[in-house]
Amino acid sequence: METKNPQPATGHRTRRGNPARTARRALPAAAAAAALGLAATACGGGGGGGDDGALTVWIMEGTNPDATEYFEAVGERFEEEHGMPVEVEFVPWADAHDRFTKGMAGGTLPDVAELGTTFTPEFAEVGALVELTDRVGDTGAYNPALVEAGTYDGQVYGMPWYAGIRSIIYRTDVFEELDLEVPENWDELRETAKTIAEEGEDDMTAFPVPGAAPYSVMPFIWGAGGGIAEQDGGEWTGTLSSDESVEGLEFYTDLALEDGVSSTGAATWKETDVQDNFVDGKVAMAISGSWTPAAIAEADPELAENLGAFPIPGPDGGYSPSFMGGSHLGMFAGGNEDAAWSYIELLTGDEFAQRWTEESTYFPGRQDQIEALAESDDPLVAPFAVQALEAGASAPVSPQWGQVEGKQVIPEMTQSILNGDATAEEAAKKADEEIDGTLNQES
Amino acid sequence: MTAGRPAPAAPPPPPNRRRRMSLRARRRALPWALLAPGLLVIGGLLLYPLGRVLWLSVQDYGLRELFQGGTNFVGAANYTDLLSDSYLWRTALPNTVLFAVVAVGATVVFGTLVALLLAALRPLARTIVISCIMVAWAMPAVSGTYVWVWIFDVDRGIVRQGLEAVGALGPEGFNWFADRLAFYAIVTLNIVHHGFPFVAVTVLAGLLTVPKELYEAAVIDGAGAWQRFWNVTVPTLRPVFAVVTILSTIWDFKVFAQVFLMPGGDGANPAMLNFGVWSYQQGIVQTAYGTGAAIAVLLTVMLLAVTLVYLRALFREEEIR
Repeated sequence: METKNPQPATGHRTRRGNPARTARRALPAAAAAAALGLAATACGGGGGGGDDGALTVWIMEGTNPDATEYFEAVGERFEEEHGMPVEVEFVPWADAHDRFTKGMAGGTLPDVAELGTTFTPEFAEVGALVELTDRVGDTGAYNPALVEAGTYDGQVYGMPWYAGIRSIIYRTDVFEELDLEVPENWDELRETAKTIAEEGEDDMTAFPVPGAAPYSVMPFIWGAGGGIAEQDGGEWTGTLSSDESVEGLEFYTDLALEDGVSSTGAATWKETDVQDNFVDGKVAMAISGSWTPAAIAEADPELAENLGAFPIPGPDGGYSPSFMGGSHLGMFAGGNEDAAWSYIELLTGDEFAQRWTEESTYFPGRQDQIEALAESDDPLVAPFAVQALEAGASAPVSPQWGQVEGKQVIPEMTQSILNGDATAEEAAKKADEEIDGTLNQES
Repeated sequence: MTAGRPAPAAPPPPPNRRRRMSLRARRRALPWALLAPGLLVIGGLLLYPLGRVLWLSVQDYGLRELFQGGTNFVGAANYTDLLSDSYLWRTALPNTVLFAVVAVGATVVFGTLVALLLAALRPLARTIVISCIMVAWAMPAVSGTYVWVWIFDVDRGIVRQGLEAVGALGPEGFNWFADRLAFYAIVTLNIVHHGFPFVAVTVLAGLLTVPKELYEAAVIDGAGAWQRFWNVTVPTLRPVFAVVTILSTIWDFKVFAQVFLMPGGDGANPAMLNFGVWSYQQGIVQTAYGTGAAIAVLLTVMLLAVTLVYLRALFREEEIR
């Protein structure tokens, strides 16, 4: 599962009806009855379609701080144009996969839903999603990594909506104090981290190497010229144990094991732990998502003033590819397809896409919209946009990839290297076996 | 009605008789009628899901079956796959059973010690101590686990700092969440801390019912403290110990949150999974519902077996007496 939401889900969920309808239900008793009615539709809709013909939409919680207001505006516009009310339900990321599978079991799927990019092929394979190839049209206008992730068996099932990418954020005050420059290749990255570890504050972790954060390892595997898995004639082969991949893995884990720029505890850290420690002021440099600067600014405005970012460097200059996470918009089978597509068009159209980008600090799915951001003056936007344009990559596009993530194959591999239980090569071989077994199984 | 008046010596009229019979029938039906709501709830909430899980466990059931409906019967394949997997025997089973044995033992022993302390206290002091241990009991498992993870934080936790201060740990530290034994030692601390108040309070309730005369007689016979405990308290409280042991066993076998929420406990480090987390990993996370259900059934069977052995031992004791 793509875990882009930096905050753990709180379980808080809101369900809004159309404001006009809500206004009519003035009496408290009627409101209570309405709430019950809404709750009832949540468990009995049946393949899309809410009560009184409303369009049902599931959106992930936490991407946009003002999501409620945003979707009210979208809903009003949609009702004006199509005469149909919209019911948006917010789903926490941590629950998302469960909610979709429960919806499949109970026939309560919405008409339109935001899908984590790794969900799309998985749900497309079982026939839950409506194919969008003709509706989307020319895919060249969209971010290629998002298009690739949304394509299953040659057909498009996920409309690219927005993207997030990981680069490196760093503390400008620490860099200034130690007279450091932004590193432009792997050697410089290592030397910079070592300088911070040796000369910086004692309890400052220079560059954590988290064991349970798969998207932090991938840039080094890709950067060295390796990969995760390749498909040839329908057969998948794990390529983590290729020479290039192992070289990248070794460089990355040696940062912790040989160069001592990480910490012992980081071997079991997730991305959220990296961010928590960064906010605590205990981390100087870290692989972080394009959405984290905003979250850090919210948690500690003072710290955010000393924040910089740079794309993940390549081994000898250039950039290392980074995982392009994000969301698609998908339509579930059996729903109101025409209305659902109109709603998707409204969300991804210029006006609302731009507002979404501004409010959420995620990147839009359209290539021309990202290009504008790469020119930005904001030092915390441009580096991420450059990374997204120049060096974005996607995980193997297979319906079973979600299972590889669920099994945590890559965290298991990274942790066993960091804990000294296996060499990079041994751990990568074991991971390849699991990837081969999982990606090639009939679901 | 003439029932209350002195009646002529005549056989009771037939309607009366019929009524008495229906009364008897009604009396016989009454317990069932009273039980019915409970049975319905248990049937609906417990037996039905249990049956579903059993049925799922003999199918190869994935996302496709979930979405499109239909069944995919594979017989005992899920079970044979699991039972022939060395992961079950080397990792999941020891993580579940050995952990449960240690945790139950520690919980019952510690809980009993606290109960003995409580029994020896004056009412005011007893109230204060009970209130304190209730806090440990009332703490939700999730918060409790996060507190333990924080205490054992590898880089800056208080345990690390303490050990480093006394020189037991080098500056490079030690990642206890990556070591199976240390990982489960922390889980055990967490479980014992959360579980001992129940044992303490239950055993205390038992202790207060033991007649003082028994202890007085034992003292006159020259019994020491240990002999009084072993020969008077333990035999009298045997049923109480049986209950707290069975309940603790059931709880400790199916520990979930306390493992899942630890670093590496959610599947990133497969060496740390117990049956509960493993079942969730397979069934819910990887949508192999059949395999997940089969693991859950195996866990249930283990629990039933353990409970049965306990109950038989308990009732045999009763018969001998």
